[in-house]
Amino acid sequence: MTQKPVIQLIDVRRYYLVGDYLVKALDGVSLSIPKGSFTAIMGPSGSGKSTMMNLIGCLDTPTSGYITIGGEMTNGMNETELAYLRNEKIGFVFQQFNLLGKINALENVMTPMTYAGIPHKERRERAEEMLEKVGLKDRMKHLPSELSGGQKQRVAIARALVNDPDILLADEPTGALDSKTGSEVMGLFQELHEEGRTIVFVTHDRKLGLQCPSQVMIKDGRIVEGDVFRES
Amino acid sequence: MFLENLKLAFGNMFTNKMRTLLSLLGIVIGVGSVVTIMNLGESVKKSITDSMNIGGVDEVVVMPTGSNNIFSEEFAYSFSDNVIGIESVSTYVSTSATLRNGQETKSAQVYGVTSNYFDSSSTELLYGDYFTRESNLQREQVVVLGYDLAQDLFPGGGAVGSYVSIFRSQAKQYRVVGVLDDSSGSISGNTNNYAFIPFNTFDQRLKKVSAVSQYTIKVQEGFTATNVAEDVKSYLSTVASSNDFYVSSAQELVDMTESVTGYLTTFLAAIAAISLLVGGIGIMNIMLVTVVERTREIGIRKALGATPKTIKAQFLVEATVLSLFGGVIGILFGVLISYIVAYAVGWTLYFSIWAIVLSLGFSSAVGIFFGWYPAAKAAALDPIEALAYE
Repeated sequence: MTQKPVIQLIDVRRYYLVGDYLVKALDGVSLSIPKGSFTAIMGPSGSGKSTMMNLIGCLDTPTSGYITIGGEMTNGMNETELAYLRNEKIGFVFQQFNLLGKINALENVMTPMTYAGIPHKERRERAEEMLEKVGLKDRMKHLPSELSGGQKQRVAIARALVNDPDILLADEPTGALDSKTGSEVMGLFQELHEEGRTIVFVTHDRKLGLQCPSQVMIKDGRIVEGDVFRES
Repeated sequence: MFLENLKLAFGNMFTNKMRTLLSLLGIVIGVGSVVTIMNLGESVKKSITDSMNIGGVDEVVVMPTGSNNIFSEEFAYSFSDNVIGIESVSTYVSTSATLRNGQETKSAQVYGVTSNYFDSSSTELLYGDYFTRESNLQREQVVVLGYDLAQDLFPGGGAVGSYVSIFRSQAKQYRVVGVLDDSSGSISGNTNNYAFIPFNTFDQRLKKVSAVSQYTIKVQEGFTATNVAEDVKSYLSTVASSNDFYVSSAQELVDMTESVTGYLTTFLAAIAAISLLVGGIGIMNIMLVTVVERTREIGIRKALGATPKTIKAQFLVEATVLSLFGGVIGILFGVLISYIVAYAVGWTLYFSIWAIVLSLGFSSAVGIFFGWYPAAKAAALDPIEALAYE
């Protein structure tokens, strides 16, 4: 596979100042993730994987280094530009689902398209289509509180995919689910990977991470082993 | 997007009904009092002007104030020749005198009037007739008595056709031709203790007239008293100095009253509007609470691609909808109170459309103004921290 990388991190550092103490959450990470890959970012808690996820998800900007997402350099972008980038190129799936509680499943899936300025009719059609795809055709009008954990996560995945993003960024997506539902959701990710989606799967669960075709291991803010795409 | 925001705003407003209602109380009371004051102000204004309209708004009054001897009876005719829109001009002079019939004596105000005086005044006859133009030209010694005067001088009745003496330097006999009806309730002046004699008779036989007391100009239909008064003023200033006369119209009084009640209403409404400010602070408070409560929602929305501007718009729309909703309740409240007050006091209620338009405008402005800071705060939230918020 000699695809152009969809995510590229070049010597990325992210430092925080906590009181007088400098926390090096990421300390010189270079990484390249090709289109269509299914990569687990693994590491124990405090390793810096959440920081990396936030940087890849354009929720955060690095202290130094360069990040390109879908070929776009994020350095120097302001908040509004980053918001557009997230909307267009990244689909988030969170451990705690993070559905909007006061609106139903369909409206949740429609929300990213609202921010993309897509007309109402098209939003509705595409949201219905996407919910049908994740097997929730008969649950569209339900509020998140009326859905099971697995169903919520399916809604979240539908919402993440509805703007046809370059990257599906999942943060411990099975963490809040029982093992059966968890493996069903994992199966859904496998299917999406087979369809050609680029998936970044952040987890502290080594076993789960090893189910992904490729892995990136992080420890103390650095990539430590098994990084098959690591640039020399 | 705007429709989505509206929908969200309404949804959020009704999730916590009690809290919404309490935080809207300030706006409700503010708008309610503005609407009440403006409605009642309008009603007072209307009832004052309505009562004034009964007594001659179609009159312009000219009073000589100096010693300019141009203001004779003859001068009355020059108005119609120089100003358009004049129906008729009557004039009078007056002096105090003593009237006697047999043993009955009474001091009264004696008016020398032209015969058309009665056309433009609101007097009404009880017995007999007014004297004619002929009586004036012939300087006849005839008199029309006010109601009380007739009662006092002729306790047994039968005044018309009888004679009374009018004293000043000397006594002269006058034939009573008419008696006026009781006018004690009239707005345009109580004539009960007046005696009216022809102008020329007054001049010749009672007291030499140097200048008349007043010209009463009746305005033609289709002309307004205010305009005619202006024209009269400019005409008079060509023939006399401005210190020599005073021109007024009942219309002017009506206009003045309207403007005074208008100012008063505006003033009171402005004070009431201060409570709108307090209401605005209520809105700001609840919006700040809302922003904190919904930090996670804001984080999610940002992750999904909402720009700071989008978030700001969402919360601004919410604050404005909230405030407008309070405004609408306040308007209903104000209308209700106006009804109750008007009913209790016995006024006819007139609604001030202005009050409603102004209230709606003001409450949206309050929403935008006081919603700005909370909305800006929401927009500035860091997405990572917001997402991690429990």
